[in-house]
Amino acid sequence: MFAKVLIANRGEIAVRVARTCRVMGIPTVAVYSEADRGALHPREADEAVLVGPAEAARSYLDIDAVLAAAKRTGADAVHPGYGFLSQNADFAEAVLRAGLTFIGPPPDVHRAMGDKQAARRRMAASGVPVVPGYEGDDQSDGALLAAAREVGWPVILKPSRGGGGKGMRVVRSAEDFPSALAASRREARGAFGDDRMVLERYLEKPRHVEVQVLGDTHGHLVHLFERECSIQRRHQKIVEETPSPALTPERRAALCAAGLAAARAAAYVNAGTVEFLLAPDGSFYFLEVNTRLQVEHAVTEAITGLDLVRLQIEIAAGKALPFGPDEVSAQGHALECRLYAEDPDHDDRPAPGRVLHYAAPEGPGIRFDSGVVAGSEVTVHYDPMLAKLVTWGRDRGEAVARMRAALRRTVVLGVTTNLARLQAIVDHPAFRAGALHTGFIEEHLAAPAPPVGPPPEALAAAHAALRLSRGAGSPEAAASDPWETLGPWRLA
Amino acid sequence: MGDAGPVAARVSVELVAPGIFVWRDDDHVETFHCVRDGEVVHLFWRGTAYRLEADGQSSRSAHRVVPGALEAPMPGRVIAVRVEPGQAVTKGQELLVVEAMKMENALRAPRDGTVKSVAARPGDMVSPGVVLVELE
Repeated sequence: MFAKVLIANRGEIAVRVARTCRVMGIPTVAVYSEADRGALHPREADEAVLVGPAEAARSYLDIDAVLAAAKRTGADAVHPGYGFLSQNADFAEAVLRAGLTFIGPPPDVHRAMGDKQAARRRMAASGVPVVPGYEGDDQSDGALLAAAREVGWPVILKPSRGGGGKGMRVVRSAEDFPSALAASRREARGAFGDDRMVLERYLEKPRHVEVQVLGDTHGHLVHLFERECSIQRRHQKIVEETPSPALTPERRAALCAAGLAAARAAAYVNAGTVEFLLAPDGSFYFLEVNTRLQVEHAVTEAITGLDLVRLQIEIAAGKALPFGPDEVSAQGHALECRLYAEDPDHDDRPAPGRVLHYAAPEGPGIRFDSGVVAGSEVTVHYDPMLAKLVTWGRDRGEAVARMRAALRRTVVLGVTTNLARLQAIVDHPAFRAGALHTGFIEEHLAAPAPPVGPPPEALAAAHAALRLSRGAGSPEAAASDPWETLGPWRLA
Repeated sequence: MGDAGPVAARVSVELVAPGIFVWRDDDHVETFHCVRDGEVVHLFWRGTAYRLEADGQSSRSAHRVVPGALEAPMPGRVIAVRVEPGQAVTKGQELLVVEAMKMENALRAPRDGTVKSVAARPGDMVSPGVVLVELE
């Protein structure tokens, strides 16, 4: 086993990886930027190395700086987490060249799956269903428009080297096509330095389902069932669950088999996820392979009882999978809600600030993986996800009920969060009925809820709380304090 | 609180840890969270986070229009009047007490002055915006 693992990430996932390493008795090294001096994740590791300034390109994305930190601390393996360098083939290669182990798939798997055109071709050739589309080398405006006509409207434009929803656009007619194509190319160039596009039939009201796969270096490949991640905002998942409420046992078996086939076609090693779109008629189409641990891996852990980070580490260390293809069973249902410092009423704008007060929900079937604590600063530099709330239940109804209760006991004060939106999602009759699709939020929760003031007793409580917090101040100070002279109140 | 009226259930609030409070109201006990950041108060009450600002300094406040007039802050019942017309008061002095939302709230003098009028007696029900005391 490894002598020391460097965690090339920050926030929730860095904390989560450190936690498993601690259980396994492996010392850890955190890296952090100047903006993260006070962050939680450096404290959760045994050692912490400053790797650069706030700007991610010069710290968390700086391959040389990260490798120098590994060398200096004597780490012999690197866990990339998700995001940042996790799917970067050059990084995986640089780690190997430095004589260290990369806890993830080998560089050529990243490379093959990172190119969406190549990935689709490979999957189609292996019999994995793909959405009708175009991934040709002729990238001229004319060729793309002709392809769009042939595929049929609406189509979705996607950067060939994209991810995270950037540069993606739905186009519903030939008239809108030229301007949408220009905009997607601009965004793709800016975000990925590559403006090649793939084009696909856009499925209306599709569900997003994905299959968790695990492969070891001895040629064993297994799946750990599916997850449904249809609840998204700006093409980014915010609520995930397993099993998918949309699948019959037969469709589930077919989907998981397709996921395994895709992983086999990719010669997959370590933990990965094969994403599919599921149409209302039960047909599904390959989207892409995520060559990393997913944010939502915790719901799979909840129903299988497995620790995916541990399995990743064991696979990277050359161990064979401890179970065969049919030896993993799933029990119950799990949900995840991603808690973000963002403002759902203002285009999900990130809401930086200091977390002044923080309390996690507790109870049977509740897991709270957090990257922040009270006092943490949420900066503008990184993804504003604060924590993941996971609930498990014997069935979906129990998992949802636990989530609804847990969301009402999740306290984050000081920064604006999407907590009210998460509550609205899991409270919604359509969600409770399992009627999900990727446009769920636009369909059901597009209009921002009107701001509701606190009930009168809450204001009284706040008044009393403020007095108690302050202690007995002088009457004079109290009189000059706007909270003491009892003026009208308003929502800020 | 004097003679108990129809809404006069005794409420108490207790600080149990920084930012964490317990509200007691007859047989009902619950936790709430509250922290202050300058002019902004962050309150977590029954599953919802609120961000509140005291409006006393804002331009639409009636306090600005009539500098000496002190209004009822919220619907409630006057339970004590501590001053009478002509009396000199100092900044911060308690002028009267309004029981609102099951809590007693003191209305204090925002500055030194003389009480010009008192428009409330103990037991009066008052509404927000009603001038209770004028200073000159």
